Amino acid sequence: MKYMILTYASQQDYDGMAGRPTQEPVWSAEDFAAMTSFMASFNKELEDAGELVETRGLTAPVLTRRLRLRDGVPVVTDGPYAETEEVLAGYWIVECESFDRATEIAARLATCPAPAQVAARAVADVRPIADSAADLEL
Amino acid sequence: MARRYGHFATAEDATQEALLAAATRWPEDGVPDDPRAWLITVASRRLTDLLRSEQARRRREDTVAGLTLPEQWLAPAADRPARAADDTLVLLFLCCHPVLSPASQIALTLRAVGGLTTAEIARAFLVPEATMTRRISRAKQRIKASGIPLAMPPAGERRERLDAVLHVLYLIFNEGYASTAGPDLHRKELSAEAIRLARLVHRLLPDDAEVTGLLALMLLTDARRPARTGPDGSLVPMAEQDRSRWSADDIAEGVALLTAALPRGPTGPYQLQAAIAAVHDEAPSAEATDWPQIVALYELLRRIADNPVVALNHAVAVAMVDGPRAGLDLLGALEADGRIAEDRRLHAVRAHLLELAGDRAGARDAYLAAARRTTNLPQQRYLHARAARLTDDREAPRR
Repeated sequence: MKYMILTYASQQDYDGMAGRPTQEPVWSAEDFAAMTSFMASFNKELEDAGELVETRGLTAPVLTRRLRLRDGVPVVTDGPYAETEEVLAGYWIVECESFDRATEIAARLATCPAPAQVAARAVADVRPIADSAADLEL
Repeated sequence: MARRYGHFATAEDATQEALLAAATRWPEDGVPDDPRAWLITVASRRLTDLLRSEQARRRREDTVAGLTLPEQWLAPAADRPARAADDTLVLLFLCCHPVLSPASQIALTLRAVGGLTTAEIARAFLVPEATMTRRISRAKQRIKASGIPLAMPPAGERRERLDAVLHVLYLIFNEGYASTAGPDLHRKELSAEAIRLARLVHRLLPDDAEVTGLLALMLLTDARRPARTGPDGSLVPMAEQDRSRWSADDIAEGVALLTAALPRGPTGPYQLQAAIAAVHDEAPSAEATDWPQIVALYELLRRIADNPVVALNHAVAVAMVDGPRAGLDLLGALEADGRIAEDRRLHAVRAHLLELAGDRAGARDAYLAAARRTTNLPQQRYLHARAARLTDDREAPRR
């Protein structure tokens, strides 16, 4: 069974990671290095265990383009999110034996090093993936 | 089929062909009364054919082996062109054929000539394995459909086709070295593979000065890899790198290759870029670099292969010789060039030169402009850190 683990961040969080000053302190070089090395070994372990299907990190929310229909015509809005709005920041697709195992994997993300204010509001979601039309009973 | 006859792989092929026959014939002839029996009969016949031709192939091979003189089993003498080597070159020419898109050329080259599996290539380019498999098989179909013969290109086209091969190897190397995306681990494999392939081509065409130049360029650039990132994974610009961590062996090999190639001529863009890399590699520090020599080499390079990135590097070198204002004057012309006007590198170079010229506010704005034009977090961190160093006295009155 496949599961998707989703993590979230705001534009403010991205600015902190990119070293761009906001109301919050920016990530120090040590913070950033600790996070990237955690992610590298986390991903490597999942890959070696044969459980990782795919993982991606997304770029800053400000680069989002939103499409909406107006009078039947798609209209593009650039950067539709507020500065502190938490939006999808990255995901992992894992294939493992149970929902509990996928949850266990996601729980390890809680140990990812980060500045205190970032860790305090971090959340991750785990959602089972609908595999095919058959699973959806279409 | 496999249960009845064994030969798992051949049974699978035979079944495939029976299904294919059904797909083409049933719509016209109608579905047979017992479709399953029809499929098994057709597949069994096909299996017999396949096994017979397999036996015939073995007989032919045995006959050829029997006719082969003992000396032909040995590696050819150094003065005789090696047959297997020719095959590799023909294959490289085919993989880098201009009918294919660069992405397909790269994938096919790595798969057919390189030592990477489809899964490894997929990982390095951050696409699912199924996508890479399809990209490779599409490329193969494309070649088949265009009727390109599996043969050495005619003499008149060979230079051009060799240039295409070298360009593909150069792209593979850069993809691994510049690490535009993805975990570092998988990208390094690409640079290593590009160097291995360049060595292979160099062994096959030892007298080609540009092949030698490309291999030298790769070695002289890759030599700096150990010093390119700090202990925290951040990027370290060349001027601030710990040069004792550069690979002396790679530099020595690159310089030796280049020294042998240059007098052979004609001097092409890879040799010139390798020469520039060699001047950097042999300098004990950024300040002690022979910048006038680098300016001269960039001027030669611009004469035979001008592009905005070469022009940008030329401007940096001129700034090192004649001062930052001279470099900034040259950047002015590039700002109108649509190919690079929105590129992070142009803004980062301008920021650096403005900083050297003492224009701290202008430099700060240019660093921030550069940061806005990249999505790469380590690059953003580097550019923001540069801007931050110039922020403190931003509001202070100018002296």
